Amino acid sequence: MSLDSLTLQQLIERTAQGDHACFAQVYSRTQAHLFGVALRMLGREQAAEDVLQEAFVSIWKNAGSYRSHVNGQPVQPMTWLMAIVRNKSLDALRQRTRRAESQLPDDDALDDQPGAASAPSALDLLGEATRALHIEACLGGLDGSHRQSLALAYYQGLSHSEVAQQMGAPLGSVKAWIRRGLDKLKTCLAARGVAA
Amino acid sequence: MRYSDPQLIEHLASTYVLGTLAGGARRRFERLLRDRADLQLAVAEWDARLGALGQTVPPRAAPSRVWATIDARTRPLSVAAAPARPAPLGWFKPAGFSLGGLAAGLLAASALFVLMPGLFITADRAAMLTGQRLPQSYVGLLTDAQGNGKLLVSSLRHGTAMTVKVIGPITAPAQGRLVLWAVPAAGPAFVLGPVPLTGSATSELPGTSEKLLSKVQKLVVTVEADAAPTAPGAVVFSGNCAKLW
Repeated sequence: MSLDSLTLQQLIERTAQGDHACFAQVYSRTQAHLFGVALRMLGREQAAEDVLQEAFVSIWKNAGSYRSHVNGQPVQPMTWLMAIVRNKSLDALRQRTRRAESQLPDDDALDDQPGAASAPSALDLLGEATRALHIEACLGGLDGSHRQSLALAYYQGLSHSEVAQQMGAPLGSVKAWIRRGLDKLKTCLAARGVAA
Repeated sequence: MRYSDPQLIEHLASTYVLGTLAGGARRRFERLLRDRADLQLAVAEWDARLGALGQTVPPRAAPSRVWATIDARTRPLSVAAAPARPAPLGWFKPAGFSLGGLAAGLLAASALFVLMPGLFITADRAAMLTGQRLPQSYVGLLTDAQGNGKLLVSSLRHGTAMTVKVIGPITAPAQGRLVLWAVPAAGPAFVLGPVPLTGSATSELPGTSEKLLSKVQKLVVTVEADAAPTAPGAVVFSGNCAKLW
């Protein structure tokens, strides 16, 4: 059977059995998308390359931990791969923050932040996601501040305090917005049969 | 902080996936995530909820050097070390040497592993491997009528998540779907969850496995057409349910 005819799930299962050709195929099918996500979160090409590399070494080692179903609901292989890349990106962002905190504050530091001045495009992406997911009612039903804080955290990997800084809002409010936003999203998606 | 409160688990899983759970709390959660099926389940559900948001980010091809590095770091030794065009007579010599080296390395590593397991694994894992401690769980190995292994079912003793792993090829039923049942020593059989055709699946149990499975001796898989079957139909796989502690 040619590798082209295998689904992403079958390729991951064969990767778990040590099939390196299948692993290479997983990479070639998904790299552009995953690199896009890492780049979006990290804002720097070299950092995104490092993250993609670490993520795929981890995928090679841990392909056996992929679960095709959770609670009877299928888990898309791409969702699983994306979670690994997002986690590696978050690690890299936090490390960067720790390094920055240990140095003297720099007047230009804020301009270097990947998310600076790009909040509208994070919201644009959320708009596309909303349409793609057919859950207009769910995301559309969230208050603007809930929606914006979720978008900044998800697409740019910002921490609570970074979201607060970007939105010019108190930390406590941001925490509450994110918590309520997630709760409402869950309830609404459950009503539509997504990961109930 | 206790991690048994369902609301707390839900909060931690959602902020973990969103990325706002940070610092020590994130690291603690990740440590627990390795062994707790209930946390894995909550995280997988949040991955499913939020994961689709990432699908809209514009793709961008990674430079070819990224794969070159991944390839070099992951390619199995036997493939990486194989010479592209072996010399006619001289091939066995380096191969013999490298195999000898490999064997010596393995021997040394095995000796070290036996003498000082702590170098390779955590004390907790070492205790589990040497039989001093096992994760308390219920496990079942299901086979077909010919005794071929088909499914491995497992659930931590006080956990509410069950993992079903396919270990032998399964043919999809012509009609209906495969359903896993628990058969208690006395009393009617009850549904534990769906059965995947490939890979492995995690599903949530209606209670802890201790409560549900302590009196269950047998597990069976049947083909069911009904969405909510009340009694098991024709059995395709079966096996014993064992306590592991």
